[in-house]
Amino acid sequence: MTESTDFNLSHFIESHQDKLLESWMKGLLPEWRRKHPQSVDEDTLRRQSRQLLDGLAKLLAGQLTESWEPPLDHSITLLLRNLSSARVKQGYRAADIAHYLVTLKRVLIHALLQENLTGDLSRFGDLLATVEIATDSLTTLIYEIYAETRERIIAQQSLSLLELSTPVVRLWDRVVMVPLVGVIDTARARQVTERLLESIAKFEATVAIIDVTGVPILDTSVAGHLMKTIAAAQMLGARVVMTGISPDGAQTLVKLGVNFSEIPTRATLRAGVAEALLLVGKRILSIKEEQ
Amino acid sequence: MKIPILRLGEILLTSIQVDLTDAEVMEFQSSVLHTISEVEARGLALDITAMEVVDSFMARTINDTASMARLLGAEVVVCGMHPSVALTLVEMGRGLIGVDATFNLDEGLSRLRKRIAQRGDSMLGEDDRHERSS
Repeated sequence: MTESTDFNLSHFIESHQDKLLESWMKGLLPEWRRKHPQSVDEDTLRRQSRQLLDGLAKLLAGQLTESWEPPLDHSITLLLRNLSSARVKQGYRAADIAHYLVTLKRVLIHALLQENLTGDLSRFGDLLATVEIATDSLTTLIYEIYAETRERIIAQQSLSLLELSTPVVRLWDRVVMVPLVGVIDTARARQVTERLLESIAKFEATVAIIDVTGVPILDTSVAGHLMKTIAAAQMLGARVVMTGISPDGAQTLVKLGVNFSEIPTRATLRAGVAEALLLVGKRILSIKEEQ
Repeated sequence: MKIPILRLGEILLTSIQVDLTDAEVMEFQSSVLHTISEVEARGLALDITAMEVVDSFMARTINDTASMARLLGAEVVVCGMHPSVALTLVEMGRGLIGVDATFNLDEGLSRLRKRIAQRGDSMLGEDDRHERSS
């Protein structure tokens, strides 16, 4: 074996790559398999981990100071980014992802210990410190990537939820309907209003039905938002019919002093539809009656 | 004392015959509203013939209940108010503003039916009724 003074960490990793990879996977795979039996693709993982070891070996050829951070455009950063974001999408937790690099650190240190480098203790300490710095900063990086990916996913989801939850339905000629589902906050209220006004203009609607069956809580702020929506729709010349207020909702609204008396309200959507049809001069008849 | 709420087709009829405590009034309000919602009533006749005293709380509750019932899509009529009650309420500066009132129940029901006939949902439930009668 090499003298500890000449010992090169970079060469060490390169020459022991297969052995290191083997013990790394041995430490990692049982736990990942147990937690995520569906998503562990061993071949890909091995390939990626081998690339990571390569990258690490190259990094360690240079000197690492304590404040060292992996450069953003380095191949190892990109590799970790791919690896981490793929795992996030598969539902891995932060701890699972950190476990990946923690295992690598353990394996490296264990391998170093077996190299009988204890002749020069201070040199051996330096080596351990370098391994520490490298793996720790990579762990920090992978955490950061994990959080970033998660945040991006959450932002996308809330955007698509917003899109999903505010459809405006054209119910009949000149009748549009907004089925409101879920909590109405300021952002959603504005979006609902915008969509409704757009649809009223587009379809030249004269009646708009606002259905609040799916709104769990009717309070002053929700009522305020609804009043604004109604006022805006009325400015475009549409009449508004409210439907789906629950008995408890009605009690709350009246006790809060909210005044909806100007607009027709109906308990159910079907009664509201009938009212809306009457307002545009239409009526549903049974076929028998017409004959 | 639970106040009975009777169903006359699409109209709910309820008559307050005894003095109610404040808690009982609130319970009454809530049960009227839930019944309207359950049976999808389109009218509510509130008969107060037997009430010789209406205090300001009761007056406000009648007002509120009428507004709440309207939010649930029911027309409301208050029937049979005593002349003395009307006088007291006006003197207190607290009328039954906004609530349609009639002198007796008969007049109240026919007014409700007239108003319901003008509504768009007057033909709703025809199929249900037809099935039940046949």
